[in-house]
Amino acid sequence: MIEIRNLCKSYHRKTVLDDIHLSVRRGSIMGLLGPNGAGKTTLISILTGVIGKDSGKITIGGLDLDREPGRIQSMCSYVPQTLAFYARLSACENLEYFGSLWGLKGKKLKERMEFCIDAGSMQAFIDKRVETFSGGMKRRLNLAIGLLNEPEILYLDEPTVGVDAQSRNYILETIRKINRERKTTIIYTSHYMDEIEQVSDEIAVIDEGRIILHDGKQAILTRADAVLISAGQMGEDAVKALQPREGIRIEKERIHIKRDEHLSENMAAVFAVFHDRGVRVDDVVFGQRTLEEFFLKLTNDRLRDEN
Amino acid sequence: MTKLFYTLKKEFLLITRDIHAVTVLFVMPAVFIMIMSLAMRDIFDLHHTFSIDVLAVNRDTGKMSGAFLKAMEELPAFTVHLLEKDAAVEKVNEQMLSRDVKFALIIKDNFSAFVDKEKGDKEGKPLELLVDPSVNVQSQMVLRSALDGKLAKLRGDAFIDRIGGFLDSAGIDKEKLKAAEESQVEVHYIYKGGRSFKIPSAVQQSVPAWLVFSMFFIVIPLSNTFISERGQGTLMRLKSMNVSRFVLITGKMVPYLFINAIQVIVMIAIGVLVVPFLGGTALTLGDSLGGLVLIAASVSFCAISLALLIASVARTTEQATTMGGGLNIIFGALGGIMVPKFVMPGFMQDLAILSPMSWGLEGFLDIFLRNGSASDVLPESLSLCIFGGVMLMLTMILLRRQKEI
Repeated sequence: MIEIRNLCKSYHRKTVLDDIHLSVRRGSIMGLLGPNGAGKTTLISILTGVIGKDSGKITIGGLDLDREPGRIQSMCSYVPQTLAFYARLSACENLEYFGSLWGLKGKKLKERMEFCIDAGSMQAFIDKRVETFSGGMKRRLNLAIGLLNEPEILYLDEPTVGVDAQSRNYILETIRKINRERKTTIIYTSHYMDEIEQVSDEIAVIDEGRIILHDGKQAILTRADAVLISAGQMGEDAVKALQPREGIRIEKERIHIKRDEHLSENMAAVFAVFHDRGVRVDDVVFGQRTLEEFFLKLTNDRLRDEN
Repeated sequence: MTKLFYTLKKEFLLITRDIHAVTVLFVMPAVFIMIMSLAMRDIFDLHHTFSIDVLAVNRDTGKMSGAFLKAMEELPAFTVHLLEKDAAVEKVNEQMLSRDVKFALIIKDNFSAFVDKEKGDKEGKPLELLVDPSVNVQSQMVLRSALDGKLAKLRGDAFIDRIGGFLDSAGIDKEKLKAAEESQVEVHYIYKGGRSFKIPSAVQQSVPAWLVFSMFFIVIPLSNTFISERGQGTLMRLKSMNVSRFVLITGKMVPYLFINAIQVIVMIAIGVLVVPFLGGTALTLGDSLGGLVLIAASVSFCAISLALLIASVARTTEQATTMGGGLNIIFGALGGIMVPKFVMPGFMQDLAILSPMSWGLEGFLDIFLRNGSASDVLPESLSLCIFGGVMLMLTMILLRRQKEI
């Protein structure tokens, strides 16, 4: 559905996207992870036609973004991280306005509005001014506006920021439902790893303008779901004995053992080497919360500040 | 068209639901017009119907004093309040103090005799003027000149009557001789720019001045909406929806053209209906509806374009309010809104031309005051449209550079 090749973008001589290659399957939900300033919003802004790229080629639904941006924009929808609507209007008036901008009118506009009201579960407050809404209600409206044009591709930029657990759950359910029922391709950015785990089929990790990982969710979770053995003072002998083994990666005072068919024999080998050389085992973690850990590992766990 | 319709609807709803915008655009100028029209009434009316109250005691036993008082009452500069014939000087003084009247005229009992005789001064002066010591010499001179003038006229007429027989035999029309009373001095006010000029009344100055001022104040709601659209990512969302620049900019301009038009109607209605009800004079509108529409539309276009530029330059609503409000006040002070141009010294009148508010105000005064037509306001309208066009062009360049829309 989306093919990105050699995409580059710079702002004021600073490279923001560096030779991005990415494919997104039709009807999939791709979780786009990345620390602050990694290039997520820039990538989505280019895909939605809000900003231009420096170089590279993007095809969406078989159409070239350079040649047919209007047609591409009409089949996509973008739900920004910010609450991009008018607080002094009611939810209904907001939907009516944004629907009209999609060229909807009359019966069709009414139908789509009803669908979106239902999708956002907004029947009870549809005629109230948005400025009186809670954070969760505003987020649901933000998402509902993005559904007005029945998009084939939906870009969601952190759609659950600052909402309560109930609204968050409702939004995630709605996203899954839309994807399941309408086969809408969804690109989803979030800082919440559990959300990405819940909704995504594919996960891409972007950092410092480069895609550093892109794979199916299961493959990544399997990769991430390693057994971690923390040990003190392994010594060169132990490292040399374990390093050649497939599925074992040694990093400072930790050993990562991949959860694959060699897991049992690799664990046995590690404990045997430790026993022979008198290495003390501090902790063993069986893949708990490893997507987040994996993400931090991939992107280095240093703090990122927006430049 | 649907897009434009709903965009206009959205903007109207946003404006009408913004209580601060409504206050700035409608309540502020309405209050200003009412206050200024009433507060400045007497100052502006110096040029029209400045009236001095005069108490009068008529002790004359003849008929001439009646004609004299009637002639004085006909002068718009004086209002004569007649006291009883036998009122003592003490009572007159008391009345002057209690009624806050600065002058009292006592017409002595020899008045008619004085008028009728050729040399009445032998019997003493026929008029006595009591003057409050706080009165300036100029005001006193004005009244004395008027009294002397009317007395001279009366004596002249009496003389003509006395020699009526001779005049008839000489074939001279007595009435024509008597009628030559009007001042033979023609007055023209000097004003920069060499245009025909009339001094406006307080309401004629206040209504167009504060109307133009308030029309330029659309910068506050317009920039607030624009900046919040930008800050909240709505502009980005709109751009991702392939909404054209034309729809976005037109969607901003047209509703404010309507808002400005409503301002024009409301402020004129206040000038025509409310100010007289409160004791001021009514606004006169002139005869050119076309001229009024032309100048109002030009001021509106100029104000909206300037507001769009400020909204594009400012990053926060605070910046927009400071920039827009400050610029408007400077334009207002410079352009004759706060202080009428005709009372400014020459160099300030020269500077006033720098303010687009001054062009708008002159246009409205052309229509309201000088009874001008659409062609008379064409120079001001063109100036406003060119200024607005330049502002709009700068806005587009800026927005394109910022990649906002």
